[in-house]
Parts: sequence; structure tokens; C-alpha cells
Amino acid sequence: MARWCFFVCMAVTCLLIAGCGDDEPVKKIDLSNREEITVIKPPAALTYAYLPQYSHNVSYKRHHLLVEYLSRATGLTIRQVFPDTFDEHINMVGRGEIDISFSNPYAYVQIARRYGARAFARIVEGKGEINFRGQVICRADNHRIKTPADLKGKRLIAVDAYSAGGYLYPWDWILEQGLRKKDFLEIAFAPGPGGKQEKVVMGVYSGKYDVGLIRERTLPILANKIDLKQIRILAHSRWYPGWVYAARRGLDPDILAKIKKALLALDMKIPEQRKILEKAGFTGVVPASDADYEAVRRLAASVESRD
Amino acid sequence: MQLFNKLSFRTKINLGIVAVILVFGVLLAFLVSRVAATAMSGEIKKRGMSLAQSLAPRATNSILALDFLRLKNMVDEVVASSDDIVYTFIQDIRGQVLSHNFKSGFPTMLKDANQIPPGASSHIQLLNAENELIYDFALPVMAGENRLGTVRVGLSRAKAEAAVHRLLLTIFAVSAGVALVAVGLGTLFASTVTRRLNVLRQSAEEMIKGNLALHISPRLERNCWEIRDCHKEECPAYGDTRRRCWNLPGVLCPECRDGSYEEKQAACRECLIYQLNAGDEIQSLAESFEVMAMTLDGHIQELEEAEKSLTRQQQLLKTILDVNPDLVSLQDENLVYQAVNPAFAQFCGWPENEILGRTCAPLFPSEQAAAHQAENMQILQTGGHKSREVPVDKDGEKRWLHMVKVPVYDGDRITGILMAARDITEIKQYQEQLIQSLKMEQLGRLSGGVAHEINTPLCVILGYAQMLLEDIPQDTESYEFLQIIEKQAQICRRIVSDLLSFSRHIESRPEEMDLNGSINEVLDLVRHSFKQDWIDIVPSLAPDLPAIIGDKEKLKQVWLNLLTNAVDSIGQDGTIWVGTRLDPQTNRVQVTVADNGSGIAPENLKKIFDPFFTTKAPGGGTGLGLSVSFGIIHDHQGTITALSPAPGEFWENFDPAKAPVGPGTVFILELPVSREKSLEETFTEAAPAGLPAADQNAV
Repeated sequence: MARWCFFVCMAVTCLLIAGCGDDEPVKKIDLSNREEITVIKPPAALTYAYLPQYSHNVSYKRHHLLVEYLSRATGLTIRQVFPDTFDEHINMVGRGEIDISFSNPYAYVQIARRYGARAFARIVEGKGEINFRGQVICRADNHRIKTPADLKGKRLIAVDAYSAGGYLYPWDWILEQGLRKKDFLEIAFAPGPGGKQEKVVMGVYSGKYDVGLIRERTLPILANKIDLKQIRILAHSRWYPGWVYAARRGLDPDILAKIKKALLALDMKIPEQRKILEKAGFTGVVPASDADYEAVRRLAASVESRD
Repeated sequence: MQLFNKLSFRTKINLGIVAVILVFGVLLAFLVSRVAATAMSGEIKKRGMSLAQSLAPRATNSILALDFLRLKNMVDEVVASSDDIVYTFIQDIRGQVLSHNFKSGFPTMLKDANQIPPGASSHIQLLNAENELIYDFALPVMAGENRLGTVRVGLSRAKAEAAVHRLLLTIFAVSAGVALVAVGLGTLFASTVTRRLNVLRQSAEEMIKGNLALHISPRLERNCWEIRDCHKEECPAYGDTRRRCWNLPGVLCPECRDGSYEEKQAACRECLIYQLNAGDEIQSLAESFEVMAMTLDGHIQELEEAEKSLTRQQQLLKTILDVNPDLVSLQDENLVYQAVNPAFAQFCGWPENEILGRTCAPLFPSEQAAAHQAENMQILQTGGHKSREVPVDKDGEKRWLHMVKVPVYDGDRITGILMAARDITEIKQYQEQLIQSLKMEQLGRLSGGVAHEINTPLCVILGYAQMLLEDIPQDTESYEFLQIIEKQAQICRRIVSDLLSFSRHIESRPEEMDLNGSINEVLDLVRHSFKQDWIDIVPSLAPDLPAIIGDKEKLKQVWLNLLTNAVDSIGQDGTIWVGTRLDPQTNRVQVTVADNGSGIAPENLKKIFDPFFTTKAPGGGTGLGLSVSFGIIHDHQGTITALSPAPGEFWENFDPAKAPVGPGTVFILELPVSREKSLEETFTEAAPAGLPAADQNAV
């Protein structure tokens, strides 16, 4: 009897010991002592903006090293700002909230036309390519689209109405195929702020849209998120000038000169700068002028007239 | 524990069930609470971290865009998603709060309450805010490798624990419910068990009271012979509704196997009858109990019969021993008395129960005890038996015992000594009397021979004396001498005549005769001479007495001898009463001669029929009269008995005017009416030939 009692007591004790958890350290705080939070205005700085074809996060990742480089190189305080949409980007240039705009050629022709911004440099991609093009994509298993004529009656998504590679350039190709807006069941633009190129790919990948218009070099960015084999490239647009640096109207020429100098000084051969350039997604910066984008202006006019 | 043992079985079952359920309920609740608390804590942490992780990347763009409205919306959305989220706020890289959900200011202590340690990807801190425990989750907002700020989410642990408490309450409620149901079911099951156990207990009590006719096991719906449709009425199980066939030997089912009980049971378990009718363990116990009771009843009845038989035998043996006049005793190997009979106890003068357990030392005088001891030890050692005649003194009287001792064996071992002793004093006396009779017979023959030899010279002497008396003148002295010679010669002649009568066996001439007539003839002869001595003879003879077969002359001599003895006993002035009667029961005639004379002394009463025994003065009698009379009566297959003093019933026959001389004497003779008939009827009463008359006198 005593032995049984002993075993029962031991079992209960073991269970109790096993059941006892470790106590966590507790920090005592007083929630009653409060203060009003005021929004701290960012310090005065030169603002740098990257047209939000991608998410702010991607934009930040791509350009924050470049911004830091420019600050160091020019001795100026430069802050990257993140407009949510192409429209906002254009509008912020117009309001003077963006001093240095890095945008696609289509957006540039808009801010140049509307707000007097002027191009002062353009990027070099890949092996010295200064132009880029757009792509028309669909799902690889969409067997209903075999020829451009098959796009009729389909749902189409593009990056933005002001996107060059993600709308203007491939839309030009579509128009050249004899198709018009009315021929599509639906034409949509990527919603929300940032990440627009990715959203177009994801819209096609998910099957919500049959056709997508994106900038070339977008698909590799999504290599870690989707199976790129499920995406089929239907066509490429013509080559057009690439992305452009522009200064808002009224920017101090000295500052602009410092910025331009620093940008043009970027060299892939310098490891530190190579890293900056790789992050930014281009291999160099070359001087540019507004005249370089006449072709784009004409394309835009042509597209608008055909719509 | 003692209290627990006193509880009823049902209470124990219920207590056990409740204890088990409560113990396991408490343990389960405790463990579940701990596990649930740990799990909930883990879930809280995962959930909080998940919230922070979902918020942080979404906040990246807004932080970069400094979109406070969107940040605010994000924070509010997170807080609104669950009521256990106490707060959510977002800090920039400098710790400045960019957005929060507090409505009236931001708690200052909260900013730095949870810092992400260097190198860590996140941190969880338990905060105690006004007795409310809050898990604070801090997760960095990253843009690539660069940290933009921190997302902080606070989850109330108390609200999460409330779920645990609800779980505990549920467990306790379920445990209590289960306990109640279990108690109910336990009571039901226990009642089923205890009810049957009570039946068993009551049956056991009935068995203790001696009632073995128990009916414990339930009646079967279908008995074995009904299932089998069997008509073997000779089968012991057929018609037996109380016992189960698998408990009975000799069942005639083909599946039933003979052999030991275990073998039969093993075979029966495969049998259809067993599988249909066998109950649970308690029913099996009840059935076995009933079989045991019935078997026990049978055994008890057998035992009772055996006990009765044994008691009868014991009683019989005790009766035999008790009524046995012989002395019987049984001693064990230590010579201690184990059993004695009343005759032995009476002989020893000890109560039976006091003799048992003792040796012979205190029972007998030391010399006898020592002799017994030595004799018993010899029997124990040799295994032989002893048989001897032992003279003992009993109440100052010498007695003879014929003692036999034999060893008692138990297998090869002597375990005691059985002693039987018979009082042979009377046999010894018979032996002595027989010897005396033989002597008297020899003496009689010798006397007869002597008398015969003397008779002739005596006749010559008497003849010549009488011749001389005729020749010699009467007035001479010689004549007087001759008279004396003649008288003495006459006396001698009578003595010789008696001797000859006693010694000579004269052939009787039995013939039918009138008994009363023979008596009257003698009475007529002696009445006158008796009268001279004032002795009256009062005859009382039955008139209708039947004739008897006898020798009239010899019987007349008997009457004369008895009357002469009466006269000698009375002397003068007395009464002699003579009566006859017929005893219809024995069909014998009885002759009674009573006198109121001097009587016979008790010590002489046994000797009066002995030859030559006389109390008369020398020359007064030869002592042969009664002996001769006894012999004659014996020859007639009759008996003669002497009583003295005379019984009172005879005194009324005497003349009361005459004073009695003494206590008086009565001689009673019985003679058969028919000799053949008498031989058949009185065979056992007849005295052996040649025996003295003392036997009859003792009657």
C-alpha cells in the first residue's frame, strides 16, 4: 500500500514538475504617461525620385546606394522620395517636390511638356544599350492566343498609362497589329502604389488577365516568386530611348552640374560604384538632352491619335 | 483504511470512480492548462510575430513614402483585427513613432520598452502594464539590408489566457459531468454486482444456519435438454433446473467428456449449451456455490446418517458394556485407562469419569497395582495375552475373577491393553458344591455298603434279643437289659434303613394317584399321636385337585418326613397347616406344610437338604429325612422350597389361641400334574440331578 502511495505521489510530482513552465522576464511599464506624437518634417534636402514602376521597397533597394553616392559625391543632402504613382511622380515634379527625376521616356516627355523639366543624363543598360523595349506576355498554357489577332476580345493589363516599356512601347506594337482599345474585353492598369511591373506579371500569371504589357528585364525580377516558364512572351516592341535623369525647372545649375558630374562619373570598373550600378540596374550614365526623346514624343502622339 | 474497508462495495466503486475521474480531471486540467498556456503563449507569440511580420513589409513602402495615413490605416487595421491586440505602432529608424493606435497620446515608456538586440531579427518582451500582461513584439522594417524602422505589436496575454481558463472550466465541467455519469453508471453496475453478492451473502448465511436448500442461480430460459431436444431421462442433468450440466458428473451429452473436473470444464467451454447458458463470473460463482451447497447437503446428510449409525453403534456398544456384568477396561500404551464399563467402575469403587486418565495405581491396593503393572508391561513387550483366575477381597468377601488381558494393535504397533474380568465366585462355589456332592455320593455309597453289611448282623442281634425276651422272665434284670438291647437295635435298624433308603436308588413306580388321598392317609396315621403332644393338624386340601403321576408310597414318606420335622420343630402345643392347590398358570399342584415351630436359622436354611445335616440331639435323627424327601421330589420333577420364618399370610391359618413356639417354617412343594407336560414346561426350572437342595432353599 505504501509503495503504491509512493508511486502515485512520485507520478503526480513528476507531472507537476513537468507541467510547470518557465516564467518569462516581465518588464513593468506605465501606459498612463503619454505624449502627443508630432510628425517630424524631414530635413531640407535635394529630393531624388525613381518613377514607381516597381514597389517603393524595390525602388529603395535599387537607388538608395546611388542616392548615398550622390550625397557623398556632391556634398549635398539628398533624400529619396517615393511617389506612389506615375501621376504623382509627374505631379511632384511639377510641385517641385522632386528635384532629380529618374523616369521612363514617356513620363519624361510629360514632365518636360507640363513642368519644364529637362533631361541631363540617360542610363546605359546591359552592354552599352541606351534603348529598351517592351514585351507582350501571356500565360504559356494559353493556347487560345497564337497570333496577334487572337488578342482580340482578351483582357489586357498594362503597367501604367504613363509607362513607356510597360504600356507605350508594346501598345504601339498592338496598334501596329491592327488592334484597338475596343477590340479588348478589358484594358486595366496595375493598381496601387509601386510594384506595377510585378503586378502586371502577377495579373497574367494568376489568369486574371490574358495579356500583359511589361518592360523588358521585368521577368527576371520575379524569378524567385513565380515559375517563369508559365509566362510566354508574345512579342517585343521596337527599341526606344531608355530611362532618363531630368532636373526640375528652376533647379540650381550648380547643383545640377554636381549631380550630373557625379552620375557621369559612375564606372563599372570601380568596384564600389559597380555595386551601386548593379543595384540600380544599369551599367552607366551618359549625358542626354531633351532632343534625345523626340522619338518618344512622336510615338506618344501617334499612339494617342490611334486610340 | 479501516473506515474504507467498512464501506459498502457500491460506495467503494463510486468513490474509486470519482477519485479516478477527479484525479485525472485535475491532472488533465493542470497539464492541459500548462500545455495550453504554453501553447497559447507560443500561439500568441507566433500570432504577434505573424502580425508584425505581415505589417512590417507593408509598412516599408509607407515609411519610405512617409505615408502616415496609410501607416495609420495599417495600424488601425491590425488593432481592429482582434480584441486581444492592445496596441500597434510603427517607429522609424531613430525610434520616432510614426503611427500608433493610442487615441490620447502615446505612452512614453512604450517606445523603448522592447529593443531588438543587435544581430537579432526580432524580439518579444513581456510587459506588465497596470497588472495586464502584454506580449510586445518588435520587428524591424527592412528595405533590403537596410532597416527603416520597427513595427511594434502588443498582445494581451490575459485575454489569451481567458481562452485557457475557458478551456479549464470546460474540462472541469466535463470532468464533473463525466464523474456524475460515471457515478450513476457505477452505481448501476455496482448495484448489479452488489445485489447478486448480497444474494450470495444471504445464501452463505443460510448455509451457516444450516439451510442448504439454496436457490441462487437464475432460472434458465432454455435448459440443456430443451436446447438439445434430448429425452435422456437417465441423464443426471435432465430435469435438473437448479444445477448446470457442466457442473454435474456423468452427463450423457456426446460432447461431455469424462475425467477430472478440469478436463470436463475444458470440454464444456466449447459446448453450445455452456456458451448459451453460461453467465458472468458472479453467476458462475453462484452456480458453483449452489452446487457446493447441494453437494455439501448431500455430504452432510451422509454424515448425519453415518453419525446416527455411529451413535447407534456407540449406544449399542455402550449398552453392551454397561449391562455386561464382566469388568471391561481399555488402557493405552502408557497404561492409562481410556475406557471402562460401569461394572469395572463399580468394582473399583470409583466413578467412571474419574478412572479415565488414571493408571491402576490409585484404583487398586499397591500389591495388586504392582502386579497389574508388571503384567501389563509384559503384555506390551511380548504381545502375548494373559488369562488367569484371581482371588480378590471385595467388601470383606472373597471373590474370584477370571481375568483376560489381550494386547490391542494398531497395525503392527501395540497401542493398548483390553482387559475383561468375569466374577466366577458362584462358579467356584458350584465347583466346591460339586466336589462336596461327589464326596457325599461316595459317602452315600459307602454308607449304603456299610449299612447293608451291618443290617444282617443287626437283624441277628435284634432277632436273638427278641427271642431271649420271650424266654426270659420280664422281672429280671436280664430282661431289662435285653429290652435295652432290642430298643437300641431298633434305633440302629432305623438308621440303617434310612441309610439304605438314601443310598439305594429304588426304582419308582409312577402311576396316576390322588394327591389329597395320600396326604389324608398320612394325616390319619399321625393325627392321633400328634394329638398327644397337643399339636393340631389343620388340613386345607383343594377338593378339585387333579390326579398326578407319582409314586404314592414315596410321596407318603415325604409327607411323613415333613410332618415329623414340623412336630420336632414345634415340640408341644402347636399347629401344623397342610394345604394343597392347583396353580393354573403353571399347571402344577402345590403342597404346603407350615408350622409355627421354632423355625430354621438363616445360616442353616441352605443346609437343611444336605445329607446328615441335623440340628437334633444325637440319637434324635439321622439328618437324612429332608435329603431323602428332596431326592423323591426331584425324581417327580418337582421342587421343594423352605421358608423361615413363615410369611405372614400363613399365620392366619394357625390357631391364635395357641402361642407360637417360634417364627415357624413353611415347606412348599410343587409337582407337575402331567409328567410329560411338566418336563416340557419346567425344563429350565429342574435342578440338575445329584445337586444338593440348597439351590431350592435359596429361592
